[in-house]
Amino acid sequence: MTDNRTRALLHFSLGGWVLLVILAAFFYAPSATGFKGESARIVFFHVPQAWVAVLAFCVNLVASIRYLRKRNPLDDARAAAAARLGLVFSVLATVTGSIFANVMWNSFWNWDPREVSIVILLLIYAAYFALREAIPDEERRASLSAAYAVLAFVTMPFLVFVVPRIYWSLHPDTIIGATGRLKLQMESRMLQTLLGSLVGFTGLFFWLYTLDVRSARVRLARRGREEA
Amino acid sequence: MRASTLLSEILAVLAKELTAELRSRVALNAIGLFGLTTLIAVAYQIGPYQIQEQDRPHLLSALLWIILFFAATSGLSRVFVKEEDAHTAKTLRLAARPLAVLGGKYLFNLLLLLALYALIVPLYCALMGYAVRGVGGLLLVLVAGAVALAATTTIVAAIIARASGSTTLFAILSVPLVLPLLVMLIQGTRAAAASSELAVVLPALQGVVSLGGAVMIVSVYLFPVVWHD
Repeated sequence: MTDNRTRALLHFSLGGWVLLVILAAFFYAPSATGFKGESARIVFFHVPQAWVAVLAFCVNLVASIRYLRKRNPLDDARAAAAARLGLVFSVLATVTGSIFANVMWNSFWNWDPREVSIVILLLIYAAYFALREAIPDEERRASLSAAYAVLAFVTMPFLVFVVPRIYWSLHPDTIIGATGRLKLQMESRMLQTLLGSLVGFTGLFFWLYTLDVRSARVRLARRGREEA
Repeated sequence: MRASTLLSEILAVLAKELTAELRSRVALNAIGLFGLTTLIAVAYQIGPYQIQEQDRPHLLSALLWIILFFAATSGLSRVFVKEEDAHTAKTLRLAARPLAVLGGKYLFNLLLLLALYALIVPLYCALMGYAVRGVGGLLLVLVAGAVALAATTTIVAAIIARASGSTTLFAILSVPLVLPLLVMLIQGTRAAAASSELAVVLPALQGVVSLGGAVMIVSVYLFPVVWHD
């Protein structure tokens, strides 16, 4: 009972927080200079979406490694849940990035290295599910998709850090600069809104992730009872 | 003692692969003919004179790697798929330890890629009028590219061999993993074509070697899981 009450309280807090972030993105944060119109406000949604896509990839990696070590089917369900959300958030990040690119540079797609990076992440998630669909045996599906997830993670640092450094990029600079030093040159209210949005989107990710894992847990328990 | 046994097992698996391949020549024919057909289609339609001078460095290096990579995808998955198709995988599991199987199959794929490059790259340079100033730099990029591509494609081949529709899956699974590698290889080839100094290819080489090395290390840990499950 207490658990349910805590959970409901957390859900309402998360909903309230996300609502505050949306209001702050449009009414609290000032307009950014050097951008067309109010286009820079998309940063409060686009950056957290890209962050959640990468976070999901990390959660997928941890769950995959846990599966390979302990062979618990729930870890496979955790890995798949993270990948599902990663796929959704990488699509959202790609779409919002394209809208921003069209406003700023009059083209939805510019083959910018960072645009390519997020698309490759999207392709990796899609390939992960294509692999899962192609293996009927559950245990083999879990172990081979976990192996692919670990392998795919190796390419991530190259996509995020190496390739954008080799090619010239239109993309506004990231928070971590090329020198490796933190570059948080943002007006304080904008920064507060961005950080708030990052927290909100992270919370949203974990809420959706927990829902998916709980339903997988119920499914596994029911199957266990049927087999017993 | 154990190291020399592992090495001899790797060489035995490689010898088995070479003997089987020279008997059927399926992978060699697939890769070689795919590469040649694509090269002829590109050379016939584009040729040395259809591209503007300022676009040549970008387009010619990209076209070269597109031909090399897609020709490679037509044959590299066979190294594990044929074991499952012929039901010889179980025997191989008993005969050699996983690391030896991975090593032998990796070396076989590496040799296939080097043979493909030896056939296609000189023909491409001749047919497309691709003047390369830094031949040494280009050779370094090609060898590093083969080492890294063979590492990625071999472990992906092992993963897809046990799934249905494995040939189609090979391209789907390997393209996202290989794309960063291809971007760096195209960059390195363009740099080698423009300058005879070896230093110009170093940034791309660093990326290719480190990505290839990382994939190799991860493959060593993952392969026993993939092979035995």
